[in-house]
Amino acid sequence: MKKELKFVVNGESYDLWVEPNTLLVQVLRDELGLKGTKWSCDSGSCCACAVILDGRVVKSCSIFALQANGKEVLTIEGLANGPELHPIQQAFIDNWAFQCGFCTSGQIMAAKALLDENPKPTREEIQLAMDGHLCRCTGYNMISEAIQDAAKRLQA
Amino acid sequence: MNEYSIIGKPTTNVDGVAKVTGEAVYTFDMTLPNMLYGKLLRSPHPHARIVSIDTSEAEKLPGVKAVITGKDTPGGKYGLWRRFRELADQEILATTKVRFIGDPVAAVAATSEDIAEKALDLINVEYEPLPAVFEPLEAIKDDAPLVHDDFENNINATRHIEWGNVDKAFKNADYVREDRFNLLSQHPAPMEVHSSIASYEKGSGRLTVWSSTQSPYFLQLGLADALKMREGNIRVIKPHVGGAFGGKNSTMPDSVNAAILSMKTGRPVKIVFNREEEFTATEKRTAMHLAIKIGLKKDGTLLAKEVKIITDGGAYTGLGATTLYLAGTWITFPYKTPNYRYDGFRTYTNKMWSSSVRGFGAVSAVYAAETQIDRAARDLGIDPIEIRRRNAMTTGYEAPGQYKVESCGILPCIDKMEQRVKEKWANLDKDEGIGFAAFAYMSGGIFNWIDTPYAFSGAMVKVNIDGTVDLFTQASDIGQGHNTVSVMICAEELGIGIEDIRLHPADTATTLTDLGAWGSRETLMNGNAVKAAAAEVKKKLIEVARMKLGENIVYDLDAKDKRIYIALRPERGFSYYDIVKDAIKGNDGEPLIGIGHYTPHRKGMVSPAYAMGIMGVRAKVDRETGQVEVKEVIVVHDCGQTINPLGARGQVEGSIQMGLGFGLCEDLPTENGLILNPSFVDYKLIRIREMPQIELFDVPTYDPEGPYGAKESAEATTAPTAPALANAIYNAVGVEFDSNVLRLEKVLKALKEKEAKEKGKGRR
Amino acid sequence: MANYRCPCCRKISSDPHDLARHFLGQTDSKHKDWLKTKGLSYAQLITSQAEFGNKGYDTLAEVLKKEAPKVE
Repeated sequence: MKKELKFVVNGESYDLWVEPNTLLVQVLRDELGLKGTKWSCDSGSCCACAVILDGRVVKSCSIFALQANGKEVLTIEGLANGPELHPIQQAFIDNWAFQCGFCTSGQIMAAKALLDENPKPTREEIQLAMDGHLCRCTGYNMISEAIQDAAKRLQA
Repeated sequence: MNEYSIIGKPTTNVDGVAKVTGEAVYTFDMTLPNMLYGKLLRSPHPHARIVSIDTSEAEKLPGVKAVITGKDTPGGKYGLWRRFRELADQEILATTKVRFIGDPVAAVAATSEDIAEKALDLINVEYEPLPAVFEPLEAIKDDAPLVHDDFENNINATRHIEWGNVDKAFKNADYVREDRFNLLSQHPAPMEVHSSIASYEKGSGRLTVWSSTQSPYFLQLGLADALKMREGNIRVIKPHVGGAFGGKNSTMPDSVNAAILSMKTGRPVKIVFNREEEFTATEKRTAMHLAIKIGLKKDGTLLAKEVKIITDGGAYTGLGATTLYLAGTWITFPYKTPNYRYDGFRTYTNKMWSSSVRGFGAVSAVYAAETQIDRAARDLGIDPIEIRRRNAMTTGYEAPGQYKVESCGILPCIDKMEQRVKEKWANLDKDEGIGFAAFAYMSGGIFNWIDTPYAFSGAMVKVNIDGTVDLFTQASDIGQGHNTVSVMICAEELGIGIEDIRLHPADTATTLTDLGAWGSRETLMNGNAVKAAAAEVKKKLIEVARMKLGENIVYDLDAKDKRIYIALRPERGFSYYDIVKDAIKGNDGEPLIGIGHYTPHRKGMVSPAYAMGIMGVRAKVDRETGQVEVKEVIVVHDCGQTINPLGARGQVEGSIQMGLGFGLCEDLPTENGLILNPSFVDYKLIRIREMPQIELFDVPTYDPEGPYGAKESAEATTAPTAPALANAIYNAVGVEFDSNVLRLEKVLKALKEKEAKEKGKGRR
Repeated sequence: MANYRCPCCRKISSDPHDLARHFLGQTDSKHKDWLKTKGLSYAQLITSQAEFGNKGYDTLAEVLKKEAPKVE
């Protein structure tokens, strides 16, 4: 039986009716058409689906949509300011921190959550925060460099 | 040294904004109006006869629009090895028997994925299990069950390569050694699972397929063969792809079943594998038994090499026959091998089949060869860098009847490595070791088992009246950054900016054939086609400019910085934009286009050009736990001319991640044909905290065959990572391995055995 | 020097070993069946060639030297 889900996504309010077993990632992608958030592993083990829920990064594949009731979600689509990219997004581009791009949304959202909480992370702190994110393309070092670069840009 | 405006300069990804904003569309994301969702019913048995299939209950489920089995398909078989028809051994859906756990027997299209899945449970299949075989050495026995009836003793493909006289050379060698290895499989594990959408147009009988593929052309051919349709009536479009690494070359059940379901329902059908299907039912690296024998002079000079390989092919061919050939080829690189013999055969077994994965035979072969050469060096008392230097290929080296190496930077790479190691790794901690491995790899393959009549790559450039350019190429960017490379080459050739060019990639209907992204072919082969297409336009622009200048014909004109000018007197020239207008308006409005294509000729049997280099790995072993920590990696490579240093670095680092996975933690333990760890929870990939710092040095040579001298980059570097690590482990703690995936249990066991052996010696 | 013709197709070679290599590279039933008539097994020749040495080709080369038609 469907239940009511009232939440804010990327600054916009939504009032939906969803089945209790619907995952947050399914509502974001299939109901709201926000395809930027991906899913990949079926086991909560890759973080491609990471979004920010009330300021904390979460795996949207491992949360029921109804758990976001009354809360605020930020997805990759909500990061840029119109045509102006967020400094983290620009840093990812300038540092070639993605290749196929499939894990990138999750990586960027986790980076945002990290830098919101810890504006000057060390390399080790970055690696610890990003440890759950699987990337098959990059070898990760360029991602860490992008996040360090983003931290500098946000400080400036 | 050439002064380029764009080539060789760090350039950000032309798809960058799309990828960092979530706007990039992957097949995984796509929906079409009126679309249905498809699912596949897969065999639970590794080998079984299909007695009966009853789909009646499934068909009745509300929301189910079609259920198909083998009898609903055109029948017959298909596969990528089209030149040897008996190796085209795949069926759309199994008709008489299933050959591995996961072999599809039925497909459903329904209004939702949930309904499609429920429908699968309602399909009743009666199987008669047959004896199955899982190990190549068992599969070749006379009494082994046959996976395919026409293949005696389950021998799927064989390969022989020979030059010189190995038997005589071994007799003359001062030192001969034999080593045997067991190289394990590895899954490409792309982040985007296999996804396809097929849409059949009832009126015209034409099919459009969007797919997460490495090669729209290969998919077009495979679908045409499987569906018994004309190629030209099938349009394949490749959206952004979330990684492939060799596992998305073949025509897989997602695309072809989506096509049939679409034909049956008259609606678009989407099939997406789940992660378990991705692990258990998609192509993976070829596991192999490998025996290698070398004969050396006492100064370490290689006189002879003999290699024998038996590969575990799995249930179908895929590109596994090519892996068989290439493994026996890469194992000779990058050394002068005066006498060589290779014999290999591929066996059918009742498992998901193995095919091409990044490295295409090199990863397994080079693991064996590069650990063995270190062992030989130790026995002979020769430094591991020196023994490689002594045997390194040089420019113009030819392996009779097989390949010739034109540009060849292995020696300066070795010199640079030696120098850097002295600077950086002079002091090692306890239980730390350094290991090396040399490597080389193709820039695309010359073989044409796909049996195409077309040039291996084509491109078209259209210049608009305002100077913007539409670049059409079928080449596939699967994450490696080829879209950016194509645009860079076009921009450099025309002397304009990246921002002036719009790329239209990877659509078989609107672009000229390109064979796809495998064997590291795109930069050289498609790069040449793009360069040729742009050059054709440039020629037209130069002609117009020359007429306007009225200068002597001996003066050369260049196109650079958005100008066309006299090379010796750059101030005399015109704006590119003005010349474009003149070229169109002054020529009756004729479209300003250029077409280019490339196929390698007179370049031997393997590849038009080879990248090469050497890798050094520094690692530390924990004697208590067996844990190996990879601390640092140095790579020195010759890729001719790096087109985009950012992309090249990204690719090298990514290849090292996969190489380390092959060396340390990625394997697919299988029991009676069942893969035991089909999820990222249990299939271990190297993660961010385990990646070492990597230093990359470029030793540019210039290969005349490549665009701006460029060769491949970074599929090569997948191969040396694990053997360099294995060599580092030996140098740290003195243990050797005859297999990869050096988990801590394996290392610990080896350490304990070594300790016991030494204690035993001590007692005597 | 004698030239040998492959008993099953038009390939000609002066070297029995070369002919043996050609022969075992063919996968059609004509070639494989011919081996059976000479008491040989395709699978056995291939698998023995996968041991160090040249046993498979040596064996077949000997047989071809005797059995293959000789041509000018």
